[in-house]
Amino acid sequence: MIRWFLRGVTRPRLTTRYPRSEEPPPPAFRARALLDPEVVDRDSATRLADVCLPSALTVDGEGRLRLDAGLCIGCGLCADAAEGKGVTLDPGYELAVRSRQRLVVGNGGAREADVSAATLAGPFRRSLHIRHVDTGSDGAVEQEIAALMNPYYDMHRLGLFFTATPRHADVLLVTGPVTRPMEAPLLRTYEAMPEPRVVVAAGTDACSGGIWTAPEVLGGVDRVLAVDVYIPGDPPSPIALLHGLLLAAGRVREASAPVVGGAGMVPTEHAGDAA
Amino acid sequence: MIAPRELTVNAGALATELEGLGGRLMMMFAADGPGDGGRELRAIVRSGDGVVVVRAPLRGKSYPSVTPRVPAAHWFEREIHDLFGNVPEGHPRLEPLVRHAPEEREVRFPEEDDARLEHRGAQRLAGPGVFVIPYGPVRSGVFETAQFLVQTGGEDVAYCAQRLFFKRRGAERRICEVPVDQAVLVAERVSGTSSIAHALAYSHAVESLADTEVPPRAQAIRRILAELERLYNHVEVTVRECEDASLSVAQAQFAALKERLHRLAGATVGNRYLRGAVVPGGTRIDLDGGAVELVDSTLAEWERDWRRVLAVLLRTDSFLDRLVSTGPLAHEDALDFGCVGPVARGSGVDVDARRDLPYDGYPALEVARHTDGDAMARMEVRFQEVETSLELIREAAGSLARGTVRTAPGPFTRDAALGASESTRGETLYWLEAGGDASIKFCKLRAASFMNFGVFNRVFDAQVLTDFSFIEHSLGLSPAGCDA
Repeated sequence: MIRWFLRGVTRPRLTTRYPRSEEPPPPAFRARALLDPEVVDRDSATRLADVCLPSALTVDGEGRLRLDAGLCIGCGLCADAAEGKGVTLDPGYELAVRSRQRLVVGNGGAREADVSAATLAGPFRRSLHIRHVDTGSDGAVEQEIAALMNPYYDMHRLGLFFTATPRHADVLLVTGPVTRPMEAPLLRTYEAMPEPRVVVAAGTDACSGGIWTAPEVLGGVDRVLAVDVYIPGDPPSPIALLHGLLLAAGRVREASAPVVGGAGMVPTEHAGDAA
Repeated sequence: MIAPRELTVNAGALATELEGLGGRLMMMFAADGPGDGGRELRAIVRSGDGVVVVRAPLRGKSYPSVTPRVPAAHWFEREIHDLFGNVPEGHPRLEPLVRHAPEEREVRFPEEDDARLEHRGAQRLAGPGVFVIPYGPVRSGVFETAQFLVQTGGEDVAYCAQRLFFKRRGAERRICEVPVDQAVLVAERVSGTSSIAHALAYSHAVESLADTEVPPRAQAIRRILAELERLYNHVEVTVRECEDASLSVAQAQFAALKERLHRLAGATVGNRYLRGAVVPGGTRIDLDGGAVELVDSTLAEWERDWRRVLAVLLRTDSFLDRLVSTGPLAHEDALDFGCVGPVARGSGVDVDARRDLPYDGYPALEVARHTDGDAMARMEVRFQEVETSLELIREAAGSLARGTVRTAPGPFTRDAALGASESTRGETLYWLEAGGDASIKFCKLRAASFMNFGVFNRVFDAQVLTDFSFIEHSLGLSPAGCDA
């Protein structure tokens, strides 16, 4: 055991200072698509929508391109086809928002955030207990969530903890599209939680159902429960998950809409680390 | 490219035929036969040096079950029964597998499950004090969804039954609905931690359908990515085992090693799970000189640190004590049930798709094997494979040929093809059938975890409750892949 003790105390600090300071993603990171709806003509719009597997890109009745970042899996096929015109890729880590509409650009998307969703600002601001439920994920999101406990992210420094029982949980963190067999377990977990409680959908699958369209899949988590925070990403990176969880606690601001040029992050309210 | 031999037998003789062929049952499913021939059973077997596809047209609702003679068919026959209603007469445990009946949407209580434990009669306990712990589908901690029904008298595990397929998302059908190039994105998301392996197995099948040669440079890039994926998944299992043994420093240090690999993946491919890199015909990304340099230097440093931490772990008694003799899988069970990957190799089965169904220019490979069959043997196999993977990446990075990274697949020249790859968890298979206009009309995929989950109830002999998580994690299973 002494060997482990020595290894433990002699390693340098690896831990990020996020959200107090920024954690930049690698430049080539494919987090989500960004849209410049004015640039694309009808033909290009159709061509771009055709390469999009989850139909995150669609063409509206007037021939304009519409982007739903809640469906985007960051594959980059649209950006390849667009050759820099109309669609680009966003490497950003901070993607979480409070309303589904906020992820949509183009016809039907709300320009102004309609923030009606619950947060746990106030008494829970500095410490959240999280219960995770997998309702049909591909398994990578779970590993990104587990990564929050590795020395690079160490979510405990921010007062975030996982709890084994929903009875102690403030946050229900749901991964995956909701499959039929998981609908009842999801609802029962939610019902077992005390109030106030928030529901966080982690990953593109959980936000919208993603690429899955089969009848055994009900769709995004919001088909079953009211979702308070959406964290798109396929899978969302650990920083994206931290951003979403801190958003649930009311400690950071939500992400900007997925538009070209508007991509600069809304500065986070640097809440600082919890003791 | 896999060139299988084909055989057609009558469904009544399928069991005898498969038993006669010997070898290992790789997959079995029902599909439409040629022309209007109605439905037929297909079994794909690894026999001797080759692959054999056995077709058995179905003449009625039922056929004699294969499982009593070829146990590896047990889940396949239940799946066929669930999806098509064909009854394998004489199957030892014909109850729902993939299909969750509406009443099962409720979490079930132990009394209702008792009847389901019958098929291993001799092992089932009865009497006062015996109870069943339904562990899952929502489990303590951050885990994928699965349910385990553990029967116990308090300490010893008398019986453990696994229930999967809570996460079935209809991947096979989705692959048939979308264009061939986009379907690879679906394959990547079947088991999100084995994105490369699934993308490769799918792409190999498409390349075989279209008779496409993958450029040498793309083959080398594919090997680099596939082995990088193997590295982080093997480290993940190590992290979990350290967590189970309450070695928090070890857990933190292996988790940090894993994170470094994901960061390397994010920096080179743009996705921490290497998605969007493999396409039918080659790769979508090229690794330029800078990227290869980054891979080389990162892994050189990584290897040094990995060896240091691993050396300490292998001298930590409280770790070894928990793994040695825990969760033993008998060699016969691993063979009979067609196990693959480190689970099979830990029980002395000599199987590795990289060598047996060669693809993407893999050099001759020394397959790591152990004979003890316990959790420690499976870990030893993984530790050896980490060394092999590092060596393979060095070799591939050093031999990157100049040239393109993609040959677009042309029109399909074959009706059906089998694609394979060795994921971290074992052999991964895609069987594709060509439709008109370069589309796919039928897809059957089989993840490694589908085979390995089938023996979950066979590794609990003389085990106690506190071994449960060691055993589960040592099998390194992916419910997402199994459920598809």
